[in-house]
Amino acid sequence: MSTSRKREEFARYKADVKNEGKSFFPYAVFHDAVMSLVVVGVIIGLASIWYFTSGEEPGDAGILGPRYTDEADPSSIGFVPRPDWYFFFLFYLLRIFKWPESVILGTVGIPTIALVLLLAVPFIDRGRERRLLRRPVAVVASLLVIASLGILTWKGATAKEGAIGAEAAIPGWIERGNLVEGAEGVIATDPALAGVSPEQAGQLVLEGAELFAQSACLDCHLFQGAGSENLGAPDLTEEGLRGRGVQWQIDHLRDPQSTTPGSLMPSFGSLSEEQLRALSVFLESAR
Amino acid sequence: MAARARSARQQQIEQLLLAPINWIEERSGLVSATKRFLFRKVPRDVSWAQTLGSATLTAFLVQLATGVILAMYYRPDPATAYASIQHITNDLTWGWLVRGMHRWGASVFIILMFLHLGRVFLFGAYRYPRELNWLIGVLILVLSLLEGFTGYLLPWDQTSYWATVVGININGTAPILGPFIADFLKGGAEIGTETLARFYSLHMLLIPGGLIALIGLHLYLVTRLGVVSPPWSKEAAGRERDEVETRKRGLVEPRPRGNANRNGSDQA
Repeated sequence: MSTSRKREEFARYKADVKNEGKSFFPYAVFHDAVMSLVVVGVIIGLASIWYFTSGEEPGDAGILGPRYTDEADPSSIGFVPRPDWYFFFLFYLLRIFKWPESVILGTVGIPTIALVLLLAVPFIDRGRERRLLRRPVAVVASLLVIASLGILTWKGATAKEGAIGAEAAIPGWIERGNLVEGAEGVIATDPALAGVSPEQAGQLVLEGAELFAQSACLDCHLFQGAGSENLGAPDLTEEGLRGRGVQWQIDHLRDPQSTTPGSLMPSFGSLSEEQLRALSVFLESAR
Repeated sequence: MAARARSARQQQIEQLLLAPINWIEERSGLVSATKRFLFRKVPRDVSWAQTLGSATLTAFLVQLATGVILAMYYRPDPATAYASIQHITNDLTWGWLVRGMHRWGASVFIILMFLHLGRVFLFGAYRYPRELNWLIGVLILVLSLLEGFTGYLLPWDQTSYWATVVGININGTAPILGPFIADFLKGGAEIGTETLARFYSLHMLLIPGGLIALIGLHLYLVTRLGVVSPPWSKEAAGRERDEVETRKRGLVEPRPRGNANRNGSDQA
């Protein structure tokens, strides 16, 4: 539409408002005031339901969740990284995109594209037609956006973490994955384990598996079908086949970004040297 | 006589009462500006759908008010932050309400903003001459999400701590600037004292300051450009007239000097 037509139409709008319009005060203000009261009421209602159905104990959740969880502890390892609900759609995008090939699509790519498209709306849609039935593209696009945001938020909200009860699965892992034999192979060949006798294989694997089960690894990683797939984390069932070596695993656990730039994994540097070694042997034996 | 005397006194009193208002008006023009704002015309078919913007503003004001109170009792230090949150929630008179309203007001604010955005989109209200206001609105949305991200850490519990660890790592994956932003947010090797202080400062100074400025600009443009009628309205402001109606209003008559004074003559 030509610039002069646009200007004409806006001048017509201005004239119509002037001639036929109603005063902002009190007519529109009345609607706004009623709506604002409803908003404040809803907020107070939510705050009350949240407070009166929950308890003072950390994690004592009512209908709307706990007042707080335990105090932040950087050295703890059994955590569930979970954002506020309006980031759930981003959180769930990271289940769809996997490390290392495509996780950047979920963290940066798609959000950036969505933001640019949103900013570009007035420059993409330059027509003057405002009736919905005559704007099929706009209506379909908005329905798709609403549906995908809704589904991603819902999936993010109901996504299960896999950590609970994982210890019970340890004997099964060791047997099915043939991990003790795998660990003997690792001890025999890995330079970081020089001086460790092959007899220690079973004990190292068991200790590593216990740490693996307790350290919330399964909140993000899959292992032999257990756990979940959050934040683009890879399946660790055959981690030993990637040929990283024990030292790499230790370095990675201590500071994930030093060996894997751009990884989303938090540091497990609060574990002791022996614990890190056992965990690494466990991971390397999985092949 | 008596009536006239009373009216003279009445005038005196009136003048006395109006004096401060006139004083302000003469030096700022604020009184007439407020009048123009309040008594400006809006399309007559404006209704409930167009209250989502002001509802969002109300939720934002709730966040400002409760945030100011929380800032008086909250201690932005890892050693004391969690205890101060417990104190506010459990011990302080009405503390639970203030924190609860701030916490849930954030969600209501975000929901209302998305609804307002959807309404503007479906009404096609982002079109000429309102494109700039759409851009400002999107910036407000982005800043509000950042406000949510920075505020989430402040209670300093396990949920907020580990969500922030991952959130900062996500920032770090962005190309070029990502690692710098992540390092800046962390303020050290680990998420700790520096991080909390940074998030606190961003959450209650920088981002709200930006939001207040952008919301002010947003409202100024809304007032200046006006709100659109619902697209289904039969009496929408600015609607196309059929031939008969337009002729009656004299809009298709040729103008003596072409389009030269288009801006002035239309509204006369």
